[in-house]
Amino acid sequence: MTNKVTKAGSISRRRLLTTASAGAALAVSPFRINLLKAEEAAIKIGFPVPLTGPYGAEAQDQVRAGQLAVAQFNDAGGLNGRKAELIVRDDRLNPGEAATRTLELVEKEKVNFVVGSLSAAVQLAINNVTKERGVIFNSISQSDAINEAADFSKHTFHEALNPHMTSGAVGRYAFAKFGKRVAFLTADYAYGHEMVRGFLEVGKEFNVENLGDIRHPLGTTDFSTLLPRLQALKPDILCISNFGRDQQIALKQATDFGIKKSIQIIAPLLSHASRVAAGPQAFEGVVGGCSFYWGIEDKFASTKAFNDAFRKTYDGKLPTDYGALGYGGVRTVLEAVKGAGSVETDKVVAALEALKYDDYKGPQYYRKCDHQSVQSVLVIKSKSKDLRNESDVFEVLSTEEPNEKNLRTCEALGHKS
Amino acid sequence: MTETPQSIKQPAAATGSWYEFATRHRASIVAAVILVFPLVMPFTALAVNILIYGLYALGFNLVFGYLGLLSFGHAALFGTGAYLCGIAIVHFGWPWYAAIAAGVAGGLLMALLIGVLAIRTRGIYFAMVTMALSQCVYYLFYQAVDLTGGENGLRGINVRTIDLFGLRIDFINPMIRYYVIAAFVIAAFFVMSRILASPFGAVIEAVRENEMRARASGYDVTLTRLLTFVLSGGFCGLAGALQALHLSIVPIEILHYETSGLVVMIALLGGMGTFFGPMVGAAVFLVLENVVSVWTVHWQLIVGAIFIACVLFFPAGIWGTLIARGRR
Repeated sequence: MTNKVTKAGSISRRRLLTTASAGAALAVSPFRINLLKAEEAAIKIGFPVPLTGPYGAEAQDQVRAGQLAVAQFNDAGGLNGRKAELIVRDDRLNPGEAATRTLELVEKEKVNFVVGSLSAAVQLAINNVTKERGVIFNSISQSDAINEAADFSKHTFHEALNPHMTSGAVGRYAFAKFGKRVAFLTADYAYGHEMVRGFLEVGKEFNVENLGDIRHPLGTTDFSTLLPRLQALKPDILCISNFGRDQQIALKQATDFGIKKSIQIIAPLLSHASRVAAGPQAFEGVVGGCSFYWGIEDKFASTKAFNDAFRKTYDGKLPTDYGALGYGGVRTVLEAVKGAGSVETDKVVAALEALKYDDYKGPQYYRKCDHQSVQSVLVIKSKSKDLRNESDVFEVLSTEEPNEKNLRTCEALGHKS
Repeated sequence: MTETPQSIKQPAAATGSWYEFATRHRASIVAAVILVFPLVMPFTALAVNILIYGLYALGFNLVFGYLGLLSFGHAALFGTGAYLCGIAIVHFGWPWYAAIAAGVAGGLLMALLIGVLAIRTRGIYFAMVTMALSQCVYYLFYQAVDLTGGENGLRGINVRTIDLFGLRIDFINPMIRYYVIAAFVIAAFFVMSRILASPFGAVIEAVRENEMRARASGYDVTLTRLLTFVLSGGFCGLAGALQALHLSIVPIEILHYETSGLVVMIALLGGMGTFFGPMVGAAVFLVLENVVSVWTVHWQLIVGAIFIACVLFFPAGIWGTLIARGRR
């Protein structure tokens, strides 16, 4: 925009400036007409997670860990110099919004892969959109249904644990140790039902006695009418299958009622973020399961490497259980891309199926029939003493090693053997 | 409204000729706007959602804006349409057009059911009764896990191609999906325009303006209300069916009372009782939500501030205020 232009052309400076700035505004605005084709350069990974809503803290941790996996891939040279990129979208914990966002990621952003989700219903919605369009989806939250033949496709992978594995591991540990008389307090929705189903299944091996299952609606704030009824059943074990705030309140009130004196409380899943939010008292002595805890770094070099990289990138913070899943989900896909030497879907699927990996929690692999990640389950106990740092909240009691025996069989899931 | 022949509020001489032209050809103008709409949208799936929510709000506006009843249970009509369309495809293997018909029929029937029970109440009571009944519908579909998938939602509404007079169309292609759905929405706008311009449309507004006088003039007020509510259910059922086809899933959240609240918000934002207002409201609401949430996780703060501004400066809704200005 020099004088020369103004003199040479018949366009006045003002008009030129207006046009240029209008053009610039249009170029940066999301409303521009998409005439230009998307660049083919970067490997794009769509990442829909619930950044807002009740699981926002967990989701933001997943994004941090996912970005770390991408950064490591790029620092190592990418795929022959081709870099990866994480495209994060907020699914607001709503399956409809997640489906819309996935359509955006696939149709507009032209992502090569999708990794993400933090709820059973949301991952099934994303999965239905991606499998229709032949895009690989690696789910990083718990669900039993996603393994079943009706929802599965060859493009569906499941990096997270599922309720059957989690409750199985906790049940095998607890029923052998604390007794056979079990009572249940269960959140009345898919997550709770699937967990109880898993506990009862594993309970058959131990001849446990089911004293009763009291269901409460999601978002219950007062358990004081339910807890005495459970106490009156005089169980050895009280199994509380709920999540998030429900879990925090139930455990706090159970502590106040003195239930812990005579009864061992177990939970299928103890979330790192919930434990930190509720404080040590409420969770004291509760036994539960999880997919990852940073404290296993003494055992696995991969955990140590992951923790150190995470600390270095995020001011000394340690990754949580759900954060680690974000890392694992993105990293396995990128590893398969490298192994396949391509981003072509069929080649990457084959590479993922062949992958034997140890990225952050010891050895893992995807089972052929349902693409469920066969992995260890940690049985942990919340602790309140001798805390080394603010993330030091659990003690690992035992580890159930990766074993296909602990998964539902391929036939039971409806897959052809 | 000024569109109806009975309107005497607005002397014809006072209005500009372009305004008269626009009201006469309102449905055609809406159709033209809808056809170029996806070109200016951030992504096509959002444009489709705006069409669908616009149609949902159009149906709602018939009861809210034109009949003057605030319903808080329209999610039941929208959701029933979506579920019936989905169930017809997933469990009964119906072709897509039959499934859409099932969705519309579902909306009509559910509206009849709710309407028969609720239509005699007024004001806040009508809002409460419709909300309570829609919660019943929510639990009905929530508990029927074998049919609806319950908590996990209904998946597998997979329509890859649609056959149209021997033509095989790729329904996965986003632009084609948009225009197929747009065809239904445009048709619905023409039907709505016809209803409002008919003598029956005038009766609807007469009931809103003065119930006693309408009754004294010999109109059956209760029947008019019920019929309007059922018609509204048909539009919402169609919107639900299109939503099921578009997203290929039906989440249980579609029946949640938040979905009922959303449509009230959209109608107020766009302008209640205006023909194009619901579509404007849906576009503004969904675009804001989607675009701002990409920039920041604190998008609710920004969107909230914009809503406050809208309420302060556009009390009759965005479209309602613009029309009022244009008429002057």
